[in-house]
Amino acid sequence: MGLVIGGFMRLVRSLTRRKLRTTLTIVGISVGIWALVVMSSMANKIGALVEGGSIYYKDKIIVIDATTLGFGFGSTPLPLAIADQIRAVPGVAVTWPEVQMLFDSEAAAAGFGLPDLISGTVAGADQGREQFQVRAARGRLLTAGDEGSSNVVLGSDLARKFGKQPGDAITIRGREFTVAGVLEPTLTAPDTTALLPLEAAQRLLADSAPLAIRQGMVAAQLVSQIIVYPEEGVDIAVLATAIENQVDHVQTLTGKDFDEQIGSSVAIFNAIILGVALISLIVGGLSVINTMAMSVVERTREIGIKRAIGASRGRIMREIVLEAGLIGLIGGTIGIVLGAVVVVIANEAGRDSGIILFLLTPNTAAFALAFSTVLGMVAGIAPAWTAARLDPVEALRYE
Amino acid sequence: MAFVEAYNLHKTYRMGRNNTLHALRGVDISIEAGEMVAIMGPSGCGKSTLMHILGLLQPPDRAANPPPRILISGVDVTNLSDSRRTQMRARTMGFVFQSFNLVPTLTALENVALASEYAGQSRSTAAATAREALEWVNLGDRAHHRPTELSGGEQQRVAIARALANRPALILADEPTGNLDSANTAEVLEVLRKFNREHQQTIVLVTHDREVGATCSRVLLMRDGVIGDEHPRAAA
Ligand SMILES: Nc1ncnc2c1ncn2[C@@H]1O[C@H](COP(=O)(O)OP(=O)(O)OP(=O)(O)O)[C@@H](O)[C@H]1O
Ligand SMILES: [Mg+2]
Repeated sequence: MGLVIGGFMRLVRSLTRRKLRTTLTIVGISVGIWALVVMSSMANKIGALVEGGSIYYKDKIIVIDATTLGFGFGSTPLPLAIADQIRAVPGVAVTWPEVQMLFDSEAAAAGFGLPDLISGTVAGADQGREQFQVRAARGRLLTAGDEGSSNVVLGSDLARKFGKQPGDAITIRGREFTVAGVLEPTLTAPDTTALLPLEAAQRLLADSAPLAIRQGMVAAQLVSQIIVYPEEGVDIAVLATAIENQVDHVQTLTGKDFDEQIGSSVAIFNAIILGVALISLIVGGLSVINTMAMSVVERTREIGIKRAIGASRGRIMREIVLEAGLIGLIGGTIGIVLGAVVVVIANEAGRDSGIILFLLTPNTAAFALAFSTVLGMVAGIAPAWTAARLDPVEALRYE
Repeated sequence: MAFVEAYNLHKTYRMGRNNTLHALRGVDISIEAGEMVAIMGPSGCGKSTLMHILGLLQPPDRAANPPPRILISGVDVTNLSDSRRTQMRARTMGFVFQSFNLVPTLTALENVALASEYAGQSRSTAAATAREALEWVNLGDRAHHRPTELSGGEQQRVAIARALANRPALILADEPTGNLDSANTAEVLEVLRKFNREHQQTIVLVTHDREVGATCSRVLLMRDGVIGDEHPRAAA
């Protein structure tokens, strides 16, 4: 162990002989890796959101009003009676109505991540079909017995944002509720969702509906979507088409729609990250090549000595490549630390407004570290090759 | 059988299109095992070039007729690959240069240990070997000094410890005392002579110093790329 450290210290000393240049190179790599880490953390968070959605939508069909655009969060209300028509379609196993709307009446569906949501269902209406399970971190989940009450279960981010614990009172869209529980973090939609009993949510939906609709209907008849589970063996896409054909004024959303619509925007984001990685690769790599090439020139005589006393070409190469890798490793480490600082600070700042932008995973950190080290080593190969091919005698004569 | 033999060594440097420089013009040399031979001659006569060729650091002109031959303990090493030549340098030769040539970022101990590592020793064995070699040149207490923290004489003794560390059969020293005062010259020569005497290591050294030459068993005089007169001991 001591010997390994001793060898490492030899490399470090060799590096530090041109402090300014080495420092600049390390700074260059740090900045690149920093950007990579921050962008990847953003991608991780968005990826987690999307993956949660993908799992949620995979095994079901969402039926919404025909006038709503895609995966919006403020859909046009739907009469509850439509559920009966849907249930009549062959292949439908379970349906249950759901109210889904923006938590805040004013908030636009803005920004990165998900907006805060209200979701109302009768607990247990899914008859055990829902695969996406949430758990209470504190307090309890809603039950069918909560229908008629003003109890609410808050997602983890929402609870933090409003500073609410089970037992606290909270005002949602002008109505008073009591917090029954707080969910465990899921990294996806439930974190920013308030789960309400269906009746309570229907009241809120009615409050927000355009006057014309409000007048024509009673609150208890309005929902925003019907969730449909197919019978076993029934193809989701086929059933979705059947529902659209047999029920008037509705459209369906399936996991495939979700993946197509949301997945494509994630792909764009990933392309941007790839771009950042590429730029940092080019800038960092060139900078390492330059540093090591100059270092090799300065060390010409030293290389001549080493060759004269018996260092093989491979050994000279290894020395330079390791040194370049060390530059990359140091730059990468600094970049990750800086990136983590930004992620933590930004998340803390965003927490108050409920915006959690970043998710720095161990995988991202490990990748960034490996990336910067390998980048350094690869960039060191050309200068190392030059060094290994030096004519020992000429190198010895070099002043 | 001679330990080092070389025949018809030529070395031509091409300086431009029609300008060539003949640094060596047909050197024949034969050195017995255990000899301590001095090579003397005016500046530019090709002494360093000859040392580099004998040390397998550069090849002689292959086009020479008859073709050049270098033998070390009877083995023809003229056409060895780079890696085999490197291995020979690491295991059977030690080099000492006029300008010390230590690695500036390494301590005295690490500089000496390099030679043993290159010869295939593990890092810990090499460190132990290096410590011992530094004792031979009375620098045990300077093991952790960097070259810049050592006097010229001390630096050259470190370089000699590096050359001796693997107890190579052949030591090639190109003006090892060229940058030293008389006290340090005497000390460096004493170490070399001691190892030559006690371990029968063959030493070839280049010098401009007649007194240094006088301490060797034989002096070869070079002039214009050839070895001229051969002087027996003390005749220089
Ligand atoms: N790489 C080279 N290119 C061109 N000419 C060279 C080269 N190396 C050596 N020479 C020339 O070859 C000749 C012999 O050089 P060498 O270094 O062997 O001389 P030397 O006897 O060691 O001289 P000194 O006593 O000054 O060290 C010199 O004229 C030198 O200029
Ligand atoms: Mg010379």
